Amino acid sequence: MASILVIEDDAETAREIADELRVHGHTVHAEADGQNGLERALREPFDAITLDRMLPGLDGLAVVARLRAAGIVTPVLMISALGDVDARIDGLRAGGDDYLIKPFAPDEMAMRVEVLLRRRRQLETAAAMLRGGPVEMDLIRREVRVDGDPVRLLHMEFRLLEFLMRNAGEIVTRQIIFERVWGYYFDPGANLINVHIARLRKKIDRPGHASLIATVKGEGYRFDAG
Amino acid sequence: MPGDWPHLRDIRKTSTFRLTLALGGAATVGVLLLLLIIYSLTERELNDRSDRILRTEIARLAALPEADLPGEIDKSSATSVSGLNHFGLLSPGGRWLAGDMGASPPLVIGHPYERDDGPDVRGPLRILAARTSGGALLMVGRDVRPIVDLRGRMVEILVLSGLFVAPLLLAAGFAVSLGPLRRVDRLQRVALEIGSGRLAARMPIEGRGDELDLFAGTVNRMIGEVERTVDQVKSVTDAIAHDLRTPLTRVRNQLYRASRDPDMAPADVVRIEAAMADLDLVLARFAALLRISELEASGRRQGFATSRIDRLLDAVVELYGPLAEERDVALRWDGAEPVRLYCDEKLIFEAFSNLVDNAIKFAPEGGCVSIRLAKDDGFVAIEVCDNGPGIPMDQLQAVLRRYDRGVASAAVPGSGLGLSVVAAIVHLHHFALELLPAEPGLRARIVAPVEAQQAR
Repeated sequence: MASILVIEDDAETAREIADELRVHGHTVHAEADGQNGLERALREPFDAITLDRMLPGLDGLAVVARLRAAGIVTPVLMISALGDVDARIDGLRAGGDDYLIKPFAPDEMAMRVEVLLRRRRQLETAAAMLRGGPVEMDLIRREVRVDGDPVRLLHMEFRLLEFLMRNAGEIVTRQIIFERVWGYYFDPGANLINVHIARLRKKIDRPGHASLIATVKGEGYRFDAG
Repeated sequence: MPGDWPHLRDIRKTSTFRLTLALGGAATVGVLLLLLIIYSLTERELNDRSDRILRTEIARLAALPEADLPGEIDKSSATSVSGLNHFGLLSPGGRWLAGDMGASPPLVIGHPYERDDGPDVRGPLRILAARTSGGALLMVGRDVRPIVDLRGRMVEILVLSGLFVAPLLLAAGFAVSLGPLRRVDRLQRVALEIGSGRLAARMPIEGRGDELDLFAGTVNRMIGEVERTVDQVKSVTDAIAHDLRTPLTRVRNQLYRASRDPDMAPADVVRIEAAMADLDLVLARFAALLRISELEASGRRQGFATSRIDRLLDAVVELYGPLAEERDVALRWDGAEPVRLYCDEKLIFEAFSNLVDNAIKFAPEGGCVSIRLAKDDGFVAIEVCDNGPGIPMDQLQAVLRRYDRGVASAAVPGSGLGLSVVAAIVHLHHFALELLPAEPGLRARIVAPVEAQQAR
């Protein structure tokens, strides 16, 4: 399980984040201001950081910028009450890997941290192939095989499957899917993503077997490698 | 454009032009009256002088013996220094006896009067006649042509000056009206801008302190007050939405934790999940509401760049194609030649996504949604058209307001904020959003002016 640094000045929010991450089995370390958070992140290795945008002392943008300047590539989830597009862009440009707007559901926060952790692991391994149950994805040749049979996927279907497989075994919400696969941050409505998932299922699911993409009611989807 | 030359008919209708003409007309009438007074005073003075001369001559002649009169009259006629005086003597029976005034008897005796024998005879005469003690008629006349000439000269002056003053007056009217008309034109443009919803716009004030400046200042104060009130209403709504989000999210989080409690009965978990779904809907609506406020308030142009709108529409169709297919709705988009638009690509994508999503929602099963892009007359028009129930004419504008969904949408899920979000994005770009009846269905059209395609 991962070691995560939570930099958050609001005690209640910090407790919510820590509780949820602990539920997911992670070790949580907390700092309540920007300067201490930055010093700790520079001093100790962490697998991921959740960082409040507005902090006393040193604000979140400065913290992440200094981390990146110091060569620390630990994934950072920025959390902020500033929800407009410019604030999001500023956060990501400064070096944040994802952006979550307050108030947030802890499960979604944990989900985003998981996605960051897995992406980091994948970057470290730099796999050219993804395998999950009967599915094989050749990321170089952009080919997909199910039980060895080639499956033709459209461009966005390929990206959707790749994202689900990279997060195999974990629940991902529709909003995260939309943001990560399509790259847009507005609410597309639940049904749109459902339909895209349904089309992907038709192409990769095998008759007589449970779907490779499970629906988790009220939460999202999970790729089950079986 | 503000610098355009106004039409002649517009100038003619202006109050400044009319006022200039009225003042010019009044000045002309005044000059006319002045000339008449000068003329009548001059005429009276000249006549009085003539009359005094006539009376003097009559008195001189009447004092002579009757028998000397013919000789004296002939002598006076011949020796009139000025050539203006004329004399005549008629017998009591009216026969000519002496002088150069012919045999015409006087019309009036004892009072001066004028007689004109025509241009060929001599000029108009002012005549004074008197009877001598012997009953003969003694007449003295004075040529008053200078007075008549003066009258003619004045009429001439009036006509000539009128011919000169009238066009001068018209030109002055046009010149004086042009400036105010242009200012009114600028005020009108700003008024239209304000009318289209841009309450931040203000009427230009030239700083002259004239009536147009006073009017513009009054309107600006009024718009400022309207803007403040609208902002207050918005901020109250936004504050409610914002303040409720945090406690509602906490409630949802509590429910979420409760749903994961292993001791929770499955039936209770189902109930909790239903409550969470409702809360998610409320939170989504609050988020949309705040997003509209954010778009309306920001005026952000950070994400603006020149984008290929045809490619963006390809991506929208790719995203919504499966949804349309699932609903058995044909989504038609034939593509277009490259069209570049200066815009925030992500926001415009969101706007078209909302329009296409709406169109698919409202199109009937087996219906169709078509996307068209047309360039015409300096504009790029992108149209999303469905063959659903459409929106009644009287509700077309109302649906752009927050939470207004129209009659036909009662059975369709959604926050009712989709078109408001589109309107806010379009407004941010200074484009135009038009909702038109498609008979059947709705045509939602975004129109971007050609200059919007240039990098600003």
